[in-house]
Amino acid sequence: MTSPASRTRASEFEHQFIGRTREGARVKTGIAELDEMLRGGFMEGDAVPAAGIVKFGEPGIYLTFEQMPDQIYRDAKNFGWDLRKMEEENKFRLVCTSPDLLLESQGENLLDGVIDELHPRRIVIDSLSHLEMFVAKGDLRKEAYRLVSFLKTKGMSSLLIWEAGQMSGNSFSVTEVGLSFLVDCIVALKPVEIESAVRKALVILKMRGSDHDKQLRQFEITPAGIKIESAFSNYEGVMTGSPRRVGSEKFMEMFRGASEKHK
Amino acid sequence: MSEAQQVIATLLSSQVRGELLVLFHRNSGLVDTVDGVARRIGRTGFAIENDVRDLVKLGVLKTKKIGSSEVILLDRARDREVLETVANHIKSVNRSEQN
Repeated sequence: MTSPASRTRASEFEHQFIGRTREGARVKTGIAELDEMLRGGFMEGDAVPAAGIVKFGEPGIYLTFEQMPDQIYRDAKNFGWDLRKMEEENKFRLVCTSPDLLLESQGENLLDGVIDELHPRRIVIDSLSHLEMFVAKGDLRKEAYRLVSFLKTKGMSSLLIWEAGQMSGNSFSVTEVGLSFLVDCIVALKPVEIESAVRKALVILKMRGSDHDKQLRQFEITPAGIKIESAFSNYEGVMTGSPRRVGSEKFMEMFRGASEKHK
Repeated sequence: MSEAQQVIATLLSSQVRGELLVLFHRNSGLVDTVDGVARRIGRTGFAIENDVRDLVKLGVLKTKKIGSSEVILLDRARDREVLETVANHIKSVNRSEQN
């Protein structure tokens, strides 16, 4: 028979040395519609760049370079998440630091202490774009690879936030520095202008080792969190910044207009 | 001077120390170099290093070596103790004034 203490030690051992990633296991995002788009959630241990997202369940770390924690505590509270309480309960840590400290290559890693304390399964890096300012030109891919590998070695699924300035106009690329190959899944968020209103669009561009939803969907940030709505099925060219109604929609509109006249 | 009075005197004798306390209490997960912390309160590393040293001596902040850099962070356990000491002292002052 095993005692609770030995079971805890066993699970810690498993977490540290064996069960880093369970094959085929999914990490739920907490957003039902997004989990459906991801065919069950992110793959465990994956590195995922996105531009905003997260809900809880497993211990996790939110690592911020730019935004100060007090603002994040406040904003989270508006959505009903008491992050300070979660920190007291050892379920969560909000770490604020400078990118150069995270990239220190000698001795102890900045996150080692928190990882030993919390055994986190998830981490958000906010943001890789800020990290770019602290590395030599051309080194970002190498440094991001080192960071992603470190997080994977620790058995964490990571959500990496990247400000993608190139996601407009006719050319479309997530990053100019070739980060797309480093990560396992890409969720792109983009504001789009349709009929003189700005709407928020979300699309899964890539998911290594799994099928996923390919449609561009509208989403809203509501008091209850992120709500993903229907696909922009009546428009084309939304991602390139020149949305136009698809031919069949135009025809239906003309047909409706003509039938109105004949009434 | 009692320990509590010494603590209060250290905490209140400099504006920068007050700013550092507010910064670390509001952002308890902050881990940065002296220069990095200074930037976050709109000052320079040179301007805050003495105050940082005093708060480290008091135990509210602690230092840690990350690679070649020295970082400062809040010592949550010691900070709670210091706060309790200050709170108890204030309560005892209030009580003696009421009597």
